[in-house]
Amino acid sequence: MRIRIAAALAGCTLFLGSLPLLAHHAFAAEFDVNQPLKLTGTLKKWEMINPHSWFHIEVKGPDGKISEWMVEGGSPNALVKEGVTKETVPIGTLLIIDAYHAKSGENKAVGRDFTLPDGKRLFLGGSAQNVAPEKK
Amino acid sequence: MYDPAHLPKKILEIQQMHSWRRFTAFLAIAVIACLAIVMASIVSMAGQQTPAPAAATYRTPRTKDGKPDFNGIWQAMNNANWDIAPHNAERATLKIEAVIGALSAMPPGLGIVEGGVLPYLPAALKQRKENFEKRFAEDPEAKCYLPGVPRFIYMPFPFQIIQGTDHIAMVSEYKGALRDIYMNSTKKAPADSWMGWSNGKWDGETLVIDTTGFNDRSWFDRSGDFHSDALHVVERITAASPYHLNYEATIEDPQVFSKPFKISMPLYRRMEKNIELLEYRCVEYSEELIYGKYRKVPLQ
Amino acid sequence: MTTDKRRFRMSHKFPVLIAGTLLTAAVVIGQQTPATRTPAAPASAGTSAKAPAPAATAKAPAAAKPWVTPRTPDGQPDLQGYWTNATYAPLERAPANVTANKLFFTKEEYDARVKQAALADEAQTTPGTTGDVHYDFTQFGLDKSQNPFAQDMRTSMITDPPDGRIPAQTAEGQKRGRDRTAAYRTAGGYNQVQDIVLGSRCIIYNPPPGPPMLPQGYNGNYQIIQSRDAVMILFEQIGDIRIIPLDNRPSPPLSVRNTMGISRGHWEGDTLVIETTNFDERPQGRNAALAGISDNFKLIERLKRTGEDTFDYEFTVSDPETFVKPWTASMPFTRIKGPIFEAACHEGNYGIEDTMKGARAADAAAAKKPGQ
Repeated sequence: MRIRIAAALAGCTLFLGSLPLLAHHAFAAEFDVNQPLKLTGTLKKWEMINPHSWFHIEVKGPDGKISEWMVEGGSPNALVKEGVTKETVPIGTLLIIDAYHAKSGENKAVGRDFTLPDGKRLFLGGSAQNVAPEKK
Repeated sequence: MYDPAHLPKKILEIQQMHSWRRFTAFLAIAVIACLAIVMASIVSMAGQQTPAPAAATYRTPRTKDGKPDFNGIWQAMNNANWDIAPHNAERATLKIEAVIGALSAMPPGLGIVEGGVLPYLPAALKQRKENFEKRFAEDPEAKCYLPGVPRFIYMPFPFQIIQGTDHIAMVSEYKGALRDIYMNSTKKAPADSWMGWSNGKWDGETLVIDTTGFNDRSWFDRSGDFHSDALHVVERITAASPYHLNYEATIEDPQVFSKPFKISMPLYRRMEKNIELLEYRCVEYSEELIYGKYRKVPLQ
Repeated sequence: MTTDKRRFRMSHKFPVLIAGTLLTAAVVIGQQTPATRTPAAPASAGTSAKAPAPAATAKAPAAAKPWVTPRTPDGQPDLQGYWTNATYAPLERAPANVTANKLFFTKEEYDARVKQAALADEAQTTPGTTGDVHYDFTQFGLDKSQNPFAQDMRTSMITDPPDGRIPAQTAEGQKRGRDRTAAYRTAGGYNQVQDIVLGSRCIIYNPPPGPPMLPQGYNGNYQIIQSRDAVMILFEQIGDIRIIPLDNRPSPPLSVRNTMGISRGHWEGDTLVIETTNFDERPQGRNAALAGISDNFKLIERLKRTGEDTFDYEFTVSDPETFVKPWTASMPFTRIKGPIFEAACHEGNYGIEDTMKGARAADAAAAKKPGQ
C-alpha cells in the first residue's frame, strides 16, 4: 500500500514537474522568512556555480559605508545553454534584489527577485521563447 | 686565388671543351661523386645496429575514424599526487599519528616536474608554504572536491578514456570526475570551473589538449601546490607502446609562477581482465572535516 | 530537419516578458540557425501527439526525406549528444483513468495539464510565506515550462501491465522496502550534517538518478558520449556518470555494488540493450517504488533512435522476489542544446554550511532567552 502511495506521489511529482519541494524546505531553514530585505548593490562577481549561484554585491549603507553581500540565485546551467557567460552581467551592474536574510546573521541572503534599475528582470521574465536545439 | 697553372691537367682539358661537353662532363663527375657518397653511407649504416630514428613513434591502432585509439583504462604510477616536485618521505602530525599511525605519512617521490622546482613568484611561494602547513584541513582532496587539471591525471585512481565523435571523455574513478574534451571546437569557457574547459585536437600521433577556464580552488597535489584562475594547461599525450602513453603538460599561470613549467609521466594501461571503474563517492567521508565544527554536540 | 510536427513544445500562450534584456536579445540573435534546423515558431501549439500505440514514433509527412539512423564510425546507431527526458506524462496511470481505460489525454486535457504546470511554475509566491524564501526558478530558466520537453499524451509511461500501474509487491519486497527506507532515512534537523537529506548534501540527488532514468526536477538533462566499447551517460544534475561497457564482460560479484548499479550493454540490431544489476542497498538512488529490490533485481533498458532529435527509452523491471510481475515503461528522449556546465555540487554547497551556522545561531539565541 505504502509503495503504491509512494509511486503515486512520484507520479504526481512528475506531473507538477518543476519545483524540488525539498529544496524549499531547506531554504526556509537557511534564510529567515521574517527578515525580508531589499538590497541594492553593484555586482562584484557572479559566481556561476551549482547547486545555486551566488551574486557578490557591494551595498552602500545609509552611512555611506560599503558592505559586501552574497545573494543566492539559481543554477546557471539553463542560462549557459542560452549563451550566458560570466561576461553577460557586467561588473558594476546595479542590482535591486528582494531577498531574505540568512539566519546565520551574516551578510548573506537568498534573492527572490533580481531587477535592473530600469525595472527589467535580470535574465528571464518567465516562459521565454523555446529555442531550437543544436547538435554539439 | 685562381691560377690555372696549378689545376690538374684533366680539369684544364675539360675547361677547354665546348660548353655542352663541359656541362656533361661536370654532370658525370657530380653523379659519380654522389653515388660514391651514397654507397659509402649505406655501407657504414649496414655496419651499425639499426638505431631508432631520432623521433621514434609507436603507431597505435586506429579507431574507425582514423584517429589513434586511446580508449581504455589508464593510471599513473608515481607519487605526484602527494607532491609533484621531488620530495622525501614526510610525516603528518603527532595528533594524526596517534589515530592512524604510519598510514598518515607521505611516501617519497622523484616528482614529475622538469627541473625539479616549481618557479613560484615570491608571494606565491609564501602561500604554498602556508598551504603545506594547513594541508590536512585544506587539501581539496580531503574535502572530496574535484581534482582539477592536471591532478586528475595522476590521482591514485584509474581513469577511462572514451573516444566519441566530437568529444573525448575522461572519467576518473575518483568521484566519477569528468573531463569533457571538445574535439571540434575552439569555444571558450562560459564560466570558471574546477575541471576547466578543454579543446583538443590531433597532431599526428599526439592528442593535444588546451585547457583554460579554471577557478582558483583546486590544488596540484596534497602538499599545497596551487594555481590561480589564470591557469592554462596544454597537454600532449602520445601512445608509446600498446601498454603505455607518454603524457606531458605545460603549466602556465603568470599570477603564481614566474614562467611556465613542464611535467611528464607515463600512463599505464590497466591490464586486468574486466577492469572497470568502481564507485568512489567520497562526499560523505569528507563531511565531518568540513561541517564538523557546526555540530550542536561535539563528537565524542 | 523535416517539417514534421515536432516533439518540442512550441512557445506558448504566456506573455513574453520584457524583451529588452541582454539575454533575450542574445537568444533571438543566436537562433538565426541554418535553414536545416526549424527554429521554434512562437505561439504555435500544434505539435504531434505520441501516436496512439505504446512507444510508437511520430509519423513524418509523406513528402519528407526518409530518416535513416545515423551511425558512429563504428557503425553503431549514434546516441551521442545532449538530451532531455522531461515530459508531462505521469509514470503511473491515475486510478480514474484505469477505470475508464483511458490510455491518452485528449489534446485539450493535455494542453490544460501543461498550461496548469506552467502557471504553477510562474505563479508568484506570497511574500512572507515559506514558499517565498527561494529564488525564482523562472528567472534562471530552470522551470520545466521554459525548457524543451517531449510531447507525450499518454496517461502513463508504464506500458506493461496494461493498466499502466506498478504491479503489487510481494510481502517480502514490501518489508525490504520498509526496512531499508527506515534504516537509511536521515534524522532531519540540523544538529549534525549527517541528519540532512542526501540531496541537499549533493550525495544523491532527489529525484534520483536511477537507473531507470526518470525525468528530473530541473537540469534534467543528459550527455551521451559513445565509443566502440563503451557508452558514457552524464546526468547534469549533480554530475553523476554511468559507464556502460559493450564488450560482453560478466558482471562483478554482488559484493561490489553501485548507487546506480553496474551495467552491461550490447546492441540488438539498432537497439542498445543495457542490463543493470548490483545496486546498492541504500534506496535513495532510485525511484521509491524500487526501495525493496532483491539481490536478483535486473533492470533492462532499451535505447533506440527514432528521429533526428529523438530516441525512445524503454525500461523493464524484473524482480520476481519483489514484484509479482515484471513491469515496463517508456518515454521519449529529446535533443537539446548543450553544453552541460560542470555540476560540482558539493564543491559549491555553501547552503549546508550556512544552514548549520543558522541553526547554531538559533540555538545560541534560544540559550540566551531569559527564563529558559
